[in-house]
Amino acid sequence: MRPVAISVDTPDVSKDLRSKAGYTFTFLSDPKAEVIRRYDLLHVGGGPNGGDISRPAEFLVDSSGTVRWENFTEDIRVRVKAEDMLAAAKAIP
Amino acid sequence: MSALGQRRRNSALFAGTAFLFFTILSNVPSLYAMKGFDRVLVWASVVFPVIALVSFAVGLKRAFTMREVYGGRIVGSILGVVSLLLLVGSVWLFVHVREVPQSSGAPHVGQKAPDFTLTDSDGSQVSLAQLLSAPVGASAQPKAVLLFFYRGYW
Repeated sequence: MRPVAISVDTPDVSKDLRSKAGYTFTFLSDPKAEVIRRYDLLHVGGGPNGGDISRPAEFLVDSSGTVRWENFTEDIRVRVKAEDMLAAAKAIP
Repeated sequence: MSALGQRRRNSALFAGTAFLFFTILSNVPSLYAMKGFDRVLVWASVVFPVIALVSFAVGLKRAFTMREVYGGRIVGSILGVVSLLLLVGSVWLFVHVREVPQSSGAPHVGQKAPDFTLTDSDGSQVSLAQLLSAPVGASAQPKAVLLFFYRGYW
C-alpha cells in the first residue's frame, strides 16, 4: 500500500512537516482545494483565520482506480486508526 | 464548641473538583489517539463537566444552608463558576468539532476515484494514475494507494 497525504498546505509547509516528522511518503499540495472540492471534502472556513481546508477523510484506491474502502470522521478529534487502514489494505487480494 | 465538633468534610466539593480535573483531561488531544478510547472521551468531555457542576451545586447548597456543618463557601463558589465555564466550553467544543461537511458527493466504495494531478513537496507534478502504477521497491506496482486527506499542518 502506498500512502499519499493531501492537504491545502503549500509544498514548503509539507516539506517542513516531512523533515520534522520523518515521513517518507508523498505529500501533495492542493492550495486552491481543487481536488478537495472534486472529492466533496471542502470544509469551508475550517482552517485558521477562516480559510477553507480539507476535512479529514481516507480512501483506499486499488490498482484499477476503484475505491475499496473509505473513512470519514464525524468528530475531528476522532482520527482514523492505523490498524483499520492496514486491515483494509490486507483485504485487497 | 459542640457546633465545631459536628463539622463535616464537604465531599461534594471534592467530587466536583475531581470532575473538573477529569473534564480537562477528557479534552487533551493526545488521548484521542488511543484506539477505542476516543469515542468514550468524546462523550466524557460533556458528561464530566455536567457531573462537576451538579456536585458543586450540591456542595454549595450544603455550605450555604448548613454553615455550621459544611465549609468551602469561597473556594466552592470560585470552582463552581469555573465548572460552569468549562461546561459551556466543552459543549461548544463538542458542537464545533462535529461541524464537518456531509461529503455526500465523495467517491463511494466501488466507484472510480477521480484522477488528479498535484504538486508534491519537491515541486514535481504527480497524478493519481502515476501513484497507482509507479513501482514500489521490488514489486511492480502498489496493491493500493491510500489517499489521506488531512486538515493541514499550518
